[in-house]
Amino acid sequence: MKKMMICFLVWGLQSASWAAPVKLRLALNWKPEPEFGGFYEAVHKGFYQKKGLEVEILPGGVGTPVIQMVEGQKVEMGISNADEVILGRSRGAEVISIFAVFQTSPMALLTHEERGFKELKDVFENSGTVAAERGLPYIQFCEKKYGFKKVKIVPFLGGISQFLSDKNLTQQGFIAAEPILARKEGARPKTFLIADSGYNPYFTVVVVRNDFAEKNPDLIKNFVAATQEGWRSYLSDPSEANARMAKLNPTMDPETFKLGAVAQAPLIQTAETKKRGLGFQSKERWKQLADQLLEIKVVSKTFPPETYYK
Amino acid sequence: MNQKLKKIGLPICAFVAMITLWEFAARIKWINPFILPEPSQILNSLIQDKVELWSALGVTAFSVTISFGLSVVLGISTAILLFTSETVLYAFYPYTIFFQTVPIIAIAPLLVIWFGYGIPAVVASGFIVSVFPVIASTLTGLLSADPALKDLFRLYGATRMQALVKLYLPGSLPFVMNGLRISGGLAVIGAIVGEFLGGVGIGSIIDVARAQQRIDKVFAAVLLASGLGLLLIKLIDLTSYVLLKNWHPSEGSEE
Repeated sequence: MKKMMICFLVWGLQSASWAAPVKLRLALNWKPEPEFGGFYEAVHKGFYQKKGLEVEILPGGVGTPVIQMVEGQKVEMGISNADEVILGRSRGAEVISIFAVFQTSPMALLTHEERGFKELKDVFENSGTVAAERGLPYIQFCEKKYGFKKVKIVPFLGGISQFLSDKNLTQQGFIAAEPILARKEGARPKTFLIADSGYNPYFTVVVVRNDFAEKNPDLIKNFVAATQEGWRSYLSDPSEANARMAKLNPTMDPETFKLGAVAQAPLIQTAETKKRGLGFQSKERWKQLADQLLEIKVVSKTFPPETYYK
Repeated sequence: MNQKLKKIGLPICAFVAMITLWEFAARIKWINPFILPEPSQILNSLIQDKVELWSALGVTAFSVTISFGLSVVLGISTAILLFTSETVLYAFYPYTIFFQTVPIIAIAPLLVIWFGYGIPAVVASGFIVSVFPVIASTLTGLLSADPALKDLFRLYGATRMQALVKLYLPGSLPFVMNGLRISGGLAVIGAIVGEFLGGVGIGSIIDVARAQQRIDKVFAAVLLASGLGLLLIKLIDLTSYVLLKNWHPSEGSEE
């Protein structure tokens, strides 16, 4: 009996359950979808709680200014992308990335199979229309690389209705969402990853304020460990988290959640993450991206690559 | 003279004081310029991006003019049509309210699919949000003609056309002008929402600058857009003054 009590005591001290859990708000840049699966998994399976963290996930939408929210301390953490981090830094935001979900960017272009395109290059070098979110650096990168001589770029309206009604339209999308939806509607989409162009920012990265990370190194370590556990668990069985997210986001049907989780897995778990852990970020990749953004003049200055992430 | 000086001088002083305070607050880091850029940064964007901003403003002004013009013409004629027949009024008036309540941001993507990218979708968007105030206020004006004057017209055996042209329409003018003031501001907002997705004009610049985290440029563009709205409303005020100054008390007090 005594032994058991000591056991409990030690266990209690270790898990720091005596201290009140630290509250963290995590702002998403989109609605609950498979690309956030690991975070929901870590919340509901209690992985964060085990580390003394109480994480509240705040879904976002079109144009949620996540970097501004983190910089302005409206939330402790937010989901963004590596190029936005570099952009934000160049405008004076003191934020860094602490975890990168996607090793390969899931941003893709959808074309109709009927057009017979073989690679990304074909989309830009043939005539047709490409609906893309303007202002995003990838399109500027592609313009510089491929030179849009015949293709016309138009604003992306969201959804896939335009794509379904126009065989000559190419649109941007997420590998884990739009191609699956389009196929369900009877179209035959052919998908090319933007990463094939050489522009491959870490995607769905967790950003925090630099001073927050410096003041709370243990908290960051615990958050990253729990997030890794969440993603490991989601990758092996996404069904539970998918069911929870589907409830929060009824616009996406359960079948798409399931297929999306399968489609995105190879972009999250790579040979490198198997060696170095999920969420891994390298100095080379950050440097390459910063150089690319500088070259296409999206930013006018960059910082040493190791200052962008932790 | 002293009164006039106060009327012009005080707003300018208040403006300068506020801007100075804002700039100062940003310089000593009370306000984070990444969240709210300081005035000098916005001014800098206005200068640095002037070619892009002003040519976009021209496109927006063009779209606003057309959508507002359509609202005036179609709004007033719809109101007259509704006024001339009770059957038409009861049958269709409820549907004109559709224009008032439609969430423009939600149907803007559809407008692009229906009308195509560029100015047509923008004009449609500006028209949809700005036509209802014209219809509603014109109709109210037509319906609130003085009963004594109505009797007079009837006693003298005026035709319906004569009554419309000489009594109802002039009588409704103050109401119409009021409707136009509301409609003008809305036309600018509607056009800019349309431009977010139509891909032209000031709205397009706001959309792109937001994605590029250029908050200063967003503010610069917003400033120009509100300038455009202000100009339009001032023009309507001037028209109203010219049309009404000789007979209606609402404009008589101006001088």
